[in-house]
Amino acid sequence: MNTTIFPGSRLLGTAVAALFLLGAIPVARAGELKLEAQLIWGTNDKMSPNPKHKPVEPDIEKRLKGLPFKWSNYFEVNRKRFKLAPGESRRERMSEECEIIVKRVGNDQLEVTLLGKGTQVGKITQALPKKELLLLGGNAPNFTAWFVALRQVE
Amino acid sequence: MDFDKQLKLQAYLDGELPEGERRAVESSLAQDAEAAALLAEFRHTNAALGTFESELKLPESREFFWSKIERELRRQEVVPRRETQLSWLWWVGWRRFLVPVGAVAALALLLVSLRTNHPGGGTGSGIVATFADDKAFTYRDQTQGTTLVWLSYAADDKSKEGASEEAIQD
Repeated sequence: MNTTIFPGSRLLGTAVAALFLLGAIPVARAGELKLEAQLIWGTNDKMSPNPKHKPVEPDIEKRLKGLPFKWSNYFEVNRKRFKLAPGESRRERMSEECEIIVKRVGNDQLEVTLLGKGTQVGKITQALPKKELLLLGGNAPNFTAWFVALRQVE
Repeated sequence: MDFDKQLKLQAYLDGELPEGERRAVESSLAQDAEAAALLAEFRHTNAALGTFESELKLPESREFFWSKIERELRRQEVVPRRETQLSWLWWVGWRRFLVPVGAVAALALLLVSLRTNHPGGGTGSGIVATFADDKAFTYRDQTQGTTLVWLSYAADDKSKEGASEEAIQD
């Protein structure tokens, strides 16, 4: 006896089976995350008054210039690299009075707390995949700005 | 006196001129009575207006303030989505195809979203933010994979000195 199967159902069944097989493939458990935090100064001045400051690298500059700001130059003031295992937390001093606390929340989220003079200013929790950039920023005198940039590094 | 010179005098009064031009204006004032008189009038007007209303301090830089307006204007310029009406007969004819395809697409989206929340790959970013001030906000640039958290927390004058690594101060 011939059984007619609705063609859409057959397609659906095959696709569902394939998708569940794909989903069953275990995603490699993340180990340590290698992170980099940068303190950045945004300005329209062509040069920083501090010779130790250097222009930010092209990738970060491109992203900053893609934001709705009009600062023409961005200088790297400080840079910290560190590793975080799941559940681990790290406190990094970016300047004399600015600190960040970065914490792995669960396996896939980062909780970033910004401290100014030891007081919490803001906290954000989000996933930070590779090539993703998290920027915390605010005003600085004379229409300049500060940024703390956080990203994964190789 | 030409218009540009008048503008330069106004800029001089507002402290907007670079050092070289400021000195040039100052030296010209000693020899140009008309310019000196106009500058005095500008100062008088500024002083008079200053008593009428206090200066408005924006919580952000003027560049950022205007860029927000520009962004909002661009957002409003987006063409409204065209509404498509499906007739019932058309739907009956295509549903045999659309139902399974739609189900597959939904499952694929679910699977992709589950997998891209992993920090090692993908672009998902479920954001939870808490701020000490209510003027803070987040901005997401999806194309560049950048999340900005803009805080009203401003650096102080020490950072502007810029000669050290204190570009972020309270």
